[in-house]
Amino acid sequence: MNPIREIRSERTGDSYYEVRHASGLKILIYPKPKNSSSYAVFGTKYGSIDNSFRTSPGGAPQRVPNGIAHYLEHKLFESADGDAFARYAKTGASANAYTSFDMTCFLFSCTANVYESLEILLDFVQSPYFTEQTVRKEQGIIGQEIRMYDDDPQWRVLFNLLSALYHSHPVRIDIAGTVDSIAKITPELLYRCYRTFYNLNNMVLCVAGNVEPERVLSLCDKMLKPSEPSYVERIFEPEPEHIVQARVEQKLAVAVPLFELGFKEPCGAGRATTKQIAGTDILLEALASDASPLFRRLLDAGLINEASFGYEYFEGPGYASVIFSGESKDPEAAEDEIKKEIAAVRAQGFDPATFERAKRAVYGRNVAALDNVGSIANSMVSLEFAGRELFTYIDEVAQAEPEDVLKRLEVQLRPEYSALSVVRPLRPAP
Amino acid sequence: MKTRMTGIEQRSVCDGVNFRSIRDSRFKTVRMSIHFLLPLERQTASSHAILPFLLTRASRKYPDLTKLNRHLAELYGAQLDADVQKLGDVQVLSVSASGIADRYSLRGESVSAELSHLLCSIVFDPPFENGMFPREGFKQEKRQMAEQIDSEYNDKRAYAMRRCEEVLCEKEPYGVGRLGSREDVRRLEREPLTAAWNRLIHHARAEIMVLGDCDPEPVYADFFAAFHNLGRTETEPCRTQVVRSAERVREVTETMDVAQSKLVLGFRTGCAEPEDTVAACKLFSALYGGTPNSKLFLNVREKLSLCYYCSSLYHPLKGILFVQSGVERKNIDRAKEEILAQLEEIRKGNFTAAELDAAKLSLCNSYRTLSDSLDGLEAWYLSQTFSSPIRPPEEEAALVGAVRDEEVRAVADGVTLDTVYKLVGKVGAAE
Repeated sequence: MNPIREIRSERTGDSYYEVRHASGLKILIYPKPKNSSSYAVFGTKYGSIDNSFRTSPGGAPQRVPNGIAHYLEHKLFESADGDAFARYAKTGASANAYTSFDMTCFLFSCTANVYESLEILLDFVQSPYFTEQTVRKEQGIIGQEIRMYDDDPQWRVLFNLLSALYHSHPVRIDIAGTVDSIAKITPELLYRCYRTFYNLNNMVLCVAGNVEPERVLSLCDKMLKPSEPSYVERIFEPEPEHIVQARVEQKLAVAVPLFELGFKEPCGAGRATTKQIAGTDILLEALASDASPLFRRLLDAGLINEASFGYEYFEGPGYASVIFSGESKDPEAAEDEIKKEIAAVRAQGFDPATFERAKRAVYGRNVAALDNVGSIANSMVSLEFAGRELFTYIDEVAQAEPEDVLKRLEVQLRPEYSALSVVRPLRPAP
Repeated sequence: MKTRMTGIEQRSVCDGVNFRSIRDSRFKTVRMSIHFLLPLERQTASSHAILPFLLTRASRKYPDLTKLNRHLAELYGAQLDADVQKLGDVQVLSVSASGIADRYSLRGESVSAELSHLLCSIVFDPPFENGMFPREGFKQEKRQMAEQIDSEYNDKRAYAMRRCEEVLCEKEPYGVGRLGSREDVRRLEREPLTAAWNRLIHHARAEIMVLGDCDPEPVYADFFAAFHNLGRTETEPCRTQVVRSAERVREVTETMDVAQSKLVLGFRTGCAEPEDTVAACKLFSALYGGTPNSKLFLNVREKLSLCYYCSSLYHPLKGILFVQSGVERKNIDRAKEEILAQLEEIRKGNFTAAELDAAKLSLCNSYRTLSDSLDGLEAWYLSQTFSSPIRPPEEEAALVGAVRDEEVRAVADGVTLDTVYKLVGKVGAAE
């Protein structure tokens, strides 16, 4: 049987259902009966960082080519009897997929034929089909995807930063790999990675929108192929606490320089807790949102612009950093200002009004995000893989205390663990 | 007089100013916006474009940007946003406010009432100094606008698209960038902006939209009072020039230090709003390059492995269509040939009923999805500004669903290639 648990949020009045399906799959269903559309995500906890692993205790480590998780994502759309897009064409669903550092997700959004579309999703992700010819064909396509990112200054400035922060953690490697690394990918390697990571016990299905939970579950009963939990041990080289280098720079065909300033944190095997994430989000809002004195100083000094300046907590298995980013005519001066403000907050904390304001802003934006089924489904999958929960997060934000937030500074935003990545124009501005 | 259709209510505030609202408690948010429409002209593009950015910086009650932003943060992370876009040969200058519905405020505040007052005050009552926008705010917004234009150069896909638009519509207002040019921005001065603002509120056509979980009546009352205080006189007409077909093909090639070359083809379709053929042209574009089942995706990408993206984009107000792709320099001509060959296939009727049905389903799905987001609804109804009567997305879906295959072939027959824009990497660069 499939025990069903309802998870309710008193604050927002919403609820969803959580099911551990007999096949091993975790299923999350978030009904929105007044919606026109529904959105489904079928994800596996397998991303670009999982390039070295063991499949039995004490077994030999297996190293696979960089970019293989992303390659596998592309190739899963093809089955022996045609490709998934051709099948979705009959239901009208808008389908896509993405690979990140720590997960691969297949998704669709639709306003009709939701169960037919869900059947396609569950079927093709469980039906790998790779041949020499189909694998080779994809090299030209993914090669052009990689080349497109080579010209993308925002992508480059991030990966340059990650290789300045991390010595050995594979988060420093481009998600899609390189033209050379993907040339080494074979059908056998794809099958091996598929069997290792596309095990239902390592996966989550989330459906949000205009659906009936019973019908989703009965379709799952029909479509899911029960799987025994498989053994997988991800191998990460030990990552030192210190950074690689404090500065990294690249020149590209851009008109305005871009920067990313990252602060590395010590990381164990576990992920940050819901409470810690809430604390960090409020901390960053208080420190650098457009209501902060820091933001205003940077803006008035002409060091940032509103359209591009931002910050994020970049956190996953074995890595965590706070990253500030934007376009700036003088990234070093922006870095100085940011670090000065961090030192001031470390010394003096925040006044109660600043804290309260930041908390309200983070809370409001998260409530607002519940309007969007895509945002709900994608967040719930990534929260599930991180061992966190959506409504608990909103409650933790609403209940946060100033001490919880300032406590984050013990491991976060330490200037001695920071690096600045800059992409500059090939030629100076006229 | 109020009129209703599936959830949307519309009425006039005064001559040239429309008010549309959709009240729906399934949303947890509210969004209210005012969009001013003026003819897009090279001489005025930048001085108009800076206005929404200046307005969202301050009000008389909150003359300081940080104080204003603090107030918004206290309203549970509410936002004031400025935006400038082109709708045909029309420049749309928008200011919007969004936030959570009142029932989610932790202390019982009315977020929507405050946002409505705020929106009216920033638009109609800027904190002028000696009759001008404050010096410091002007300086910052001028700098940021120049940086926004630079930033478009950083994104090569967007840059190539914009250059193709410029070349294609060189002799039409649409060829002007939404923010004007970098030189126009550099020449901006503070003093003439007060007259530009006056033109905006007194003479520009305006579309107000109030969407989501809030009562539109108080917002209507706020705007009604503000516009009637102005005593608006005449409203400037907005027209869009449609060139029905290309006389000859123009080729423009530029080189840059990039790894991947970009190819953008600009076509004249001969189908533009409000003609009946527009629905067929939308369907043609979906069949040609609008979905992962389209001719371009299946052939240029999947069959020939030439690219990661190859897609078409139709602008119904202008009657123009673009195809864009990113390819290796050596493959540019091969890609172009295949893109044109696929157009020929549609002209000859070499598409199946299943392909056409798939394109219909896909388009209908995207129209129906719009009603689930306030942004989507706003964008849709704004695009309907020049349609009479305006159509809800479901009606548009029905129109597209009724198109017959011979109508698609007829549209394809009338499509002519006008501009070929290539952004090519330097030989040996970044290899």
